[in-house]
Amino acid sequence: MIYKSAEERQLAKVWEPPKGWRYFSDVNNSTIGVWYISTAFAFMLFGGALALLIRLQLAVPENTLLSANLYNQVFTLHGTVMMFLFAVPIFEAVAILILPAMLGARDLPFPRLSSFGYWCFLIGGVFVCGSIFFDSAPDAGWFMYPPLSTEQSGIGADIWLLGLSFIEVASIAAAVELIVGVLKCRAPGMHINLTPLYGWYVLIVGAMILFAFPPLIAGDYLFELERAFDWPFFDVSRGGDPLLWQHLFWIFGHPEVYIIFLPAIALLAMIVPTFTQRPIAGYSWIVLSALGTGFLSFGLWVHHMFTTGLPAISLGFFSAASEAVAIPTGIQIFVFIATVMMGNVVRSVPMLFCLGALATFIVGGLTGVMIAVAPFDFQVHDTHFIVAHLHYTLIGGMLFPVMAGVQYYYPFVTAKVLSWRLGIWSFWLMFGGFNIGFLPMHFTGMLGMPRRVFTYDADRGWDLLNMVSTIGAFIFAAGFLVMVWDCVRPKGRDKDATRNVWNAGTLEWAGRVPADNWGMRSIPQINSRYPLWDDKTLLETIDQGRGLLPSAEEGKRETLVTSVLDAKPLQILRVAGPSWLPMISAFGLGAVFIFATWKLWWLTLAGGIVFLVAVLWWLWTGTAVIPEKPTKDVGDGRQMPLYVAGVRSTGWWAMFITMTGDLTAYLSLLFGYFFFWTVHEEFPPAHIEGPGWQWPAVAALLTLLTWALTLGARLINARGRPGLAQVLLALGLVAAAASGLALMAGPWTNGLDPTEHTYPAIVWALVVWIVLHLAAGMIMQAYCIARSRFRKLTPEHDADLWNVTLYWHFTGFCGLLTALVIGGFPLVQ
Amino acid sequence: MLLASSAVLLAACNGEQSMLHPAGEQAEGLATLFWVMAAAGVVIWCVVMGAAIYAVLGKKRPRSERFADRFIFFGGVAFPTVTLAALLVFGLALLPNWAGGDEPDMRVHVTGEQFWWRFAYKGPSGERIETANELHLPVGANVEFVLDSTDVIHSFWIPALGGKMDLIPGRTNVLRLKPTKAGVYRGVCAEFCGPSHAFMAFPAIVHPVADFQSWLEAEALPANPAGSEAFIAAGCGGCHTVRGVSEAGSVGPDLTHLARRRTLAAGTMPMTRQALEDWIAAPSHIKPGARMPDFAALDDEQRDAIVQFLLGLQ
Amino acid sequence: MNANRAHDEVERETGHGTDLWRVIAAPIVWALHFLFCYIYGAIYCEKLGRDAPLDDARIAIIIATVFALALIALSTVHLWRVRGRSLTDNDFEFEHNTPEERHRFLSHVALMLCVLSAVAVIYVAIPMLYLVNCR
Repeated sequence: MIYKSAEERQLAKVWEPPKGWRYFSDVNNSTIGVWYISTAFAFMLFGGALALLIRLQLAVPENTLLSANLYNQVFTLHGTVMMFLFAVPIFEAVAILILPAMLGARDLPFPRLSSFGYWCFLIGGVFVCGSIFFDSAPDAGWFMYPPLSTEQSGIGADIWLLGLSFIEVASIAAAVELIVGVLKCRAPGMHINLTPLYGWYVLIVGAMILFAFPPLIAGDYLFELERAFDWPFFDVSRGGDPLLWQHLFWIFGHPEVYIIFLPAIALLAMIVPTFTQRPIAGYSWIVLSALGTGFLSFGLWVHHMFTTGLPAISLGFFSAASEAVAIPTGIQIFVFIATVMMGNVVRSVPMLFCLGALATFIVGGLTGVMIAVAPFDFQVHDTHFIVAHLHYTLIGGMLFPVMAGVQYYYPFVTAKVLSWRLGIWSFWLMFGGFNIGFLPMHFTGMLGMPRRVFTYDADRGWDLLNMVSTIGAFIFAAGFLVMVWDCVRPKGRDKDATRNVWNAGTLEWAGRVPADNWGMRSIPQINSRYPLWDDKTLLETIDQGRGLLPSAEEGKRETLVTSVLDAKPLQILRVAGPSWLPMISAFGLGAVFIFATWKLWWLTLAGGIVFLVAVLWWLWTGTAVIPEKPTKDVGDGRQMPLYVAGVRSTGWWAMFITMTGDLTAYLSLLFGYFFFWTVHEEFPPAHIEGPGWQWPAVAALLTLLTWALTLGARLINARGRPGLAQVLLALGLVAAAASGLALMAGPWTNGLDPTEHTYPAIVWALVVWIVLHLAAGMIMQAYCIARSRFRKLTPEHDADLWNVTLYWHFTGFCGLLTALVIGGFPLVQ
Repeated sequence: MLLASSAVLLAACNGEQSMLHPAGEQAEGLATLFWVMAAAGVVIWCVVMGAAIYAVLGKKRPRSERFADRFIFFGGVAFPTVTLAALLVFGLALLPNWAGGDEPDMRVHVTGEQFWWRFAYKGPSGERIETANELHLPVGANVEFVLDSTDVIHSFWIPALGGKMDLIPGRTNVLRLKPTKAGVYRGVCAEFCGPSHAFMAFPAIVHPVADFQSWLEAEALPANPAGSEAFIAAGCGGCHTVRGVSEAGSVGPDLTHLARRRTLAAGTMPMTRQALEDWIAAPSHIKPGARMPDFAALDDEQRDAIVQFLLGLQ
Repeated sequence: MNANRAHDEVERETGHGTDLWRVIAAPIVWALHFLFCYIYGAIYCEKLGRDAPLDDARIAIIIATVFALALIALSTVHLWRVRGRSLTDNDFEFEHNTPEERHRFLSHVALMLCVLSAVAVIYVAIPMLYLVNCR
């Protein structure tokens, strides 16, 4: 492309993707987004191939195509891959790709974090998927129920646990990135009520991830402690309880369904207005229902455990919430239909996929309402009826909308439009094949066929239905392949799409074709929900550089930070450029998880050191850099700061969000402690010595001290006494170390053996968790001392210290609570 | 059309293990609930999709946005709120809800093991009678199943009689079922429990009351010890109890009246001489992961003697 | 219309101080109510055994429900002024790019969430109509 003005050439140079092999050091959201989406689809094809194996095996009764052992690996991996390596990452991928353009940002606030997340996802995914080629894939179901998974599974269970924990890191990284993106990086004037609906959904889903994924991380932590060190959390012979895992897993697992569903519906909320050429009829309705679904989805987890013998009263509560969640879900469907009714429908392939999604999802929703009735679930739980139900919800609620999104956003990414003919073909093959495949499964289930059986008797009468399902599955796969072919076929001779090819109203279509790496030429003032429809001069304003940030004089990548509710410009954020560090960090962390699987502790340690060094280097060179001048002209004469610390900075928000997730994980562990209290007659058990109250009390005081010292350091530093602040931080570091030692001294001096019983095990688990956090906090304190000594942290530029103080608010709180619980709770008993 | 095709399917199917051929009080209620919900679901689906397709294809566009407002409110809020509340009220009424004083007519103790079922009844004189892999119940009785597990999580499910309940190590669950029609049904393990999860089934036979009593009395009798030498010599008694012959083993299924059972290896094969021979030679070929070791080293004579003895355990 | 009255008019219509936290207040009440019911019920039944009657639990849960509904009702009071507004009808009005419109929008969403949360709270209380013991 030829750039006309000097400003454009500057922008092009600053945002230019690295060339050659350095391409893989890129961190820009346009590049990472494409990698992310391609990788997720590659995993999806792999998961699909596994699904076809399952269907082949079940096509005829008493089949011997797969052995029981292989079949179990295949279905476990199918579920795992589809959930963890496709459904959740595709949300992150799509959001990373399109969100900045939609909000009028040049990039997301933490590009290197996106890159780090991507590499974590790729490494973890390949690790988990690869295991099946060595006959060592996880084989206990994607839910990994102990004791089958803890006591009888081979290395597969560890691969599942560690590989997925690693991928969860990527999800949480994406959540941090996207939440901050939606809240702080909108174009000026884009009030919260003008934010594209996709942004709302991303915000809500990001928040859900913070509360849904950490319980699973806590569960993984306990699980791996049992697998690797024999701490008996789920072993009934030593006071454990397998149901604890089920709770932690499903507290994650049910919201996860909505974490998958909402972002896909969000695509419909963008597509439907475009192809009806009118605003959505009921923007507030959609926001209401997305928020309502987000909340209610946390009150459903026990409906996966209806048959575990919980008291009827618990079943009742969860049945009720499971019915209630259908209301906001239904509202969204009616909003879409109302929008279509009042608009002028443009018939198109994305619209066809939307209709297909609707037809499919409603079936899943209706069967969902059925199985939310606990007594009915007693019958159909763990049968093929559930298999049918969940595929109707996931395919209708997620895959078809994503396919619509691929059709819709393909020109946005590649400048080419997908083939109409192939689109129609792939839709009908997929839609037809899916229904042929899964509609009969409702009946297979009602006729008594359980899930996860690798074979069945000929005289059960399920053979015809299963054969039909298998044929349907293959038709479905064919449709999918048509789509894949359409996406990857060479399109050199196709003409580029026109700008805003669908005549959409939202900002992501304001970009030129082919798209520029930096998004828009300049960032305009936004005055409505569909600026491209309502403001006819908008494109001109953008292209002529009359908006904000029209240039990049200093040769730095910059994007605008605005206020949360009213999107008033606050700051010009310097975002990071290409770097290998995120990739190296991801490989380091990957090594930690992968080597830990085989208990190669020295290599694990080495990986950990690589990770730590790379992250510190990354932080040292790339974050909270003191700019060459305090403010800069944003483009309309207003001066905006280039450096912001504290509650108004993106870094502080990122820390806050991360630590919220961390706190959730900690609270899940604490839930474990009290869970054991509820299930045992006597907890702590009388015959086991506790950690005493004295050492925990000392630890509590020391934690308070280090917390106060860190906060003091920030306040003193702001008063212009960096030297004294360094001293306080150093004292804080010592106090933190002492606090960790005191915390461990309690169980240590009283001889608590974590392998003996679940009580000492959970006490130790809490202590180890806190000690690790104290250690991380100490590294941060040391980092701040070093930054201060090297004048990278000054009284005026103290973002690092703000963020570290925030970290200590959380860690201090958790440390105190731990000391209180392990020291104090036995006294109340 | 949907109803017609489902009728065909139902007719074609073997009803032993079907929820749609109920033979128990709970299953009947739930089958009715299913048909009502399914019919309502089909109607709702047709109405909503009709509206959607009309919206896409229809020529006349409503002018007033009030219309959209009402459409969303009545379709998306009012109707679901009322319908779902009603469903919740009627659905939860089917929750088994017996008061503390309501004693069952009988209790069966069920233990899930990889990959078979241990059943224990209370005999005519109050003694514990253990059996395995075949459940017998009297028609019309309110039966309480006391469920636990020794290894991993299983789930006890007889679709024709009612809902399932998990067997969880370290916990004791209860489930009540009330068979209403005599007949032969089939139960299975519904929670994934390892390689042979697919081979963990059992016939569930509902007898008229008198027949059940005679079955129970016969079951309480010790076995016929004739010809047990090979069985003892091969060490089978280390795991299996045959009352009156060898009562030390409790790891494997009780074999006291093995030959009276319809199936072998937890519903995997019919009880025939050939099946017994194959099973003894190589259990793990038939049921992957089965705990019983292979006895392929036995010579034909020993094996025949054991099979002969087992077939005599009437 | 003098400036003061115009200001009152705007405030009556739109309110002020409705921010994102306010919007999620009602669902948070639902969540706390739900958690209380579940945790209270679970501990009650676990500690007293399966045959325990639910009388005490019922009273506790009804009190909690009334309390939760009262809290939700309380938070609707501040939002009630937007009730007459159609939700789709005036959609375009919301698009005026002013903080007042943003207030009005957030108040609307908050009000609707109050209704949804109240319905969900009542749903959660429904099982208490039936259950007599911990089975």
